[in-house]
Amino acid sequence: MLKLLRKEFRLSASILSFLFIPFGLMFFLPGYPVLCGVFFVTLGLFQSFQNARETNDILFSALLPLAKRDVVKGKYLFVCFIEICALILMGAAAAVRMTVLADSEVYRSNALMNANFFALGLAFVIFGLFNSVFVGGFFKTAYKFAGPFLTYIISAFVTLGAGEALHCFPGLEFLNAFGTDNIGIQLALLAAGFLIYLLLTYISFKKSCRYFERIDL
Amino acid sequence: MSIAEIRNLNKAYPSFRLQDVSFDIREGRITGFIGRNGAGKTTTIKSILNLVHPDNGEIVYFGKKLADNESEIKKLIGYSTGSVNWYPRKKIKEIVSTVRDFYDTWDEEAYRRYLSLFNLDENKAARELSEGMKVKCNLLIALSHKARILILDEPTSGLDPFSRDELTEIFIKLKEEGVAVFFSTHIISDIEKCADDIVYISGGRIVAALPKKEFETRYSLPGESLEETFLRMERGERNA
Repeated sequence: MLKLLRKEFRLSASILSFLFIPFGLMFFLPGYPVLCGVFFVTLGLFQSFQNARETNDILFSALLPLAKRDVVKGKYLFVCFIEICALILMGAAAAVRMTVLADSEVYRSNALMNANFFALGLAFVIFGLFNSVFVGGFFKTAYKFAGPFLTYIISAFVTLGAGEALHCFPGLEFLNAFGTDNIGIQLALLAAGFLIYLLLTYISFKKSCRYFERIDL
Repeated sequence: MSIAEIRNLNKAYPSFRLQDVSFDIREGRITGFIGRNGAGKTTTIKSILNLVHPDNGEIVYFGKKLADNESEIKKLIGYSTGSVNWYPRKKIKEIVSTVRDFYDTWDEEAYRRYLSLFNLDENKAARELSEGMKVKCNLLIALSHKARILILDEPTSGLDPFSRDELTEIFIKLKEEGVAVFFSTHIISDIEKCADDIVYISGGRIVAALPKKEFETRYSLPGESLEETFLRMERGERNA
């Protein structure tokens, strides 16, 4: 597993995938749709897929002493690694905003979505959509990525828009909780987001292995 | 002894069909895989490397089915193509330092020896290499992990006569070390120079798969060169 990840880092990853991880800290920005940070992280990941295609990485990997499903596994490991790094930053930013900065006026007067556990749950969902729609779509051909990325962008921004809008509806104000308000439901929403991420990623990985096994390189 | 046994490969594309492709690759021998452009050489090679999925047929290496023992078998195979660039902006040593992790048979001493023999500079990026150097670079990796069979897709295409000569000399040296070399080409003089066995494909079908001497006895007319034989056979195929 480590060998696969190391290969991704050394040969096929774009530097932008790493440079875009700090966009997770956009969770600190007041008056800005914080989930855009998630999209920027996936934009960095997209660059690695572009790089992989331009350098014939998939064909090269398929010739290594690996089963074909391991080539797919390498890409998913890399993607999940970057996502988890960004999620750690987002989680840290959310935790700071929910504790130390819970009463900060700049965040209290923020009209947009608050960076809380619900937002973090949605970040998991958007990353899950990236893995499912984009990475899964890429492995249908192992070279076409424009269509899957466009579909992902639409699904990501619909999710982002829904996240930003939901707390404005009567009865759903708790989604925009400050500090530890509604902490039980916040944690439940985070757990739900995490489960959706796991489910989308796992199903997409299995489907990608099947597709990749069938395609001719 | 057969290192690889290919039996009844079939692969249908909308405009091309590989039909009942069968042949053997034998240890310590050079097998030239000849056919005109579009005859099915690359499809066959990709099929025996599991890059293309044949509709049916069997591929066995070292007595084991490729489909069931993919990673184990690939450790013993070296592959090269003259037409594809891997990681053009990475230095050879960067590619090698990653690739060696995947082979428990990696021999650093052999790597240094072939690096010097092939006159390669490991600090050069792949895009700085000539076509011949790229093939040598692939051979370098294959030989450093002690591949027992080299599968080379048109390694001599695009090379000048000197580099082609140099490469065929390398094939002969490798054969003497017991390595099986299987290379596709449409340059008949390369086959004449170094091949022990010939696999001749035309229109997606194997026309002949036998030792070169036997091929000449069976198909060449008196005084006819191998090139003239292939040209005559191809014309016959077209007129049929």
